[in-house]
Amino acid sequence: MKLQIKRLLSQIILFFSANLGYPGYPGLKTGFCYPFFYCQACPAATSACPLRSLEQSVDKGSFAWRLFLFPLLIIGFLGILTGRAVCSWACPIGLLQRGTGRIARKVKKTHLAKKLGTHKAEKYFRYTKYVILISLVFVTSYLIGFIFTDICPVGFLTGTIPVLLLNPGKFVPNFFFPIALVIFVLFIILIFIIERGWCRYFCPVGALLGPFNKISFYHIAVEKTECLHCNVCSYECPMGIDVPNMHRDPECILCGKCVTACPHELITFERKGQ
Amino acid sequence: MKKFLALQICALLLVSGALGGMFAFTSVYNEVRSGIVLVLCLSCLKLEPKTNAEFTFNTADDRPHADFVLENLSQGPVFLHYSGDACAGCDVMYPVIKELFSVEFGKQDMFSTIVTFENTSVAYIYVNIHHTIDELRDAQVIYDKDHIGGIPMFTVVTLGYDNGDVKPKYTTLYGTLATYGCDTDAQRLVFLQQLMDQSIEMYEQNKPGYQHQ
Repeated sequence: MKLQIKRLLSQIILFFSANLGYPGYPGLKTGFCYPFFYCQACPAATSACPLRSLEQSVDKGSFAWRLFLFPLLIIGFLGILTGRAVCSWACPIGLLQRGTGRIARKVKKTHLAKKLGTHKAEKYFRYTKYVILISLVFVTSYLIGFIFTDICPVGFLTGTIPVLLLNPGKFVPNFFFPIALVIFVLFIILIFIIERGWCRYFCPVGALLGPFNKISFYHIAVEKTECLHCNVCSYECPMGIDVPNMHRDPECILCGKCVTACPHELITFERKGQ
Repeated sequence: MKKFLALQICALLLVSGALGGMFAFTSVYNEVRSGIVLVLCLSCLKLEPKTNAEFTFNTADDRPHADFVLENLSQGPVFLHYSGDACAGCDVMYPVIKELFSVEFGKQDMFSTIVTFENTSVAYIYVNIHHTIDELRDAQVIYDKDHIGGIPMFTVVTLGYDNGDVKPKYTTLYGTLATYGCDTDAQRLVFLQQLMDQSIEMYEQNKPGYQHQ
């Protein structure tokens, strides 16, 4: 079976696995945290968003070490084994962006997108997700009680919208709704104009997983000495990585598109070592 | 190469050991399940439920009333205040409730007291679902009248007359009371005062016929 078909199957199966919590169908509500970005407010969610647990652990100057460590250890366990592969093989938001990626790839060919995509500031912009993770998940939660979850576009998509659709007329928007709606619209625009735009620049869960690429067993290796620098791999990469010069890049989501694309089979999945 | 592999194996053993230890020796699994997955923070959902404040005899799914509520009900109405950590809606309502009953307590405390409200004893029970005991947390489902499953939630239990019997009668409100037209703390306070007055009136009318079993 082709690698990308395997990945699609994995994404679909894990999407359904993440949604076994709808009351009665079968109503599986666990005490795990997802290792990816998905909201416990989804009526069918089986587990908790890792960010929610982290926010709760540092609520307004308090510190609950169990809620702090638990999601980090779940993410760390998978991160050490597979790095950021969770983003491309399991995350439902990754699956969504796979769907919007076709349009984003067309946009990528425009002059403006090429110019912006190759701008030297682009690589620094990728640190935004780390800033969001530290500031909105930890600092504001600790200092003033404002949490990322209140304005989260993924929560809006997977929690708020399904709840509104399943319970027509039962809920009205609260004070966070307008802000979250604006951010959600920007999120939708983003994933249609930049391939994996959310994962690249803004995903705080991706920021948690990214550093594990440096030590993960499973990773992508490039045979640099024999590489012809044809850049087919870089063009295929949904994360916009300079693949021939990549070594355990925190941005790599191990989707394997470069592995499939390399005409000389110089890019491979490796299971251990450097 | 070997050093790096050793580092990877050490990291994996450390993380998996710590994770296994957390499952085996702490209650974190139950904390996440009961405090995050099963009970939602309504402000995180960005929604307020549209419910009515009418009193009813029927508990959610016809579950029996909680023992601690029935015990307190022989003295006066019972006010249950469900709140939680990292919940903006809870933070909005927290000072309003403190002012309503003139009480002072920490957000993460387990707190209950008998207050005098309009010359009647009212049992006020504060439940932060992230820092409480199972008995109090489980009672939330009983009084979740509209099956919202979210916090903040407020339940007033009083007495009502039903086909020859005096029985516990209750109502439950959710969120920051925006759906009842309350947008400021003052409006929330007035609304809750009126609700308490109503519950006290019902209690006084039905108290002579109440027999706590």
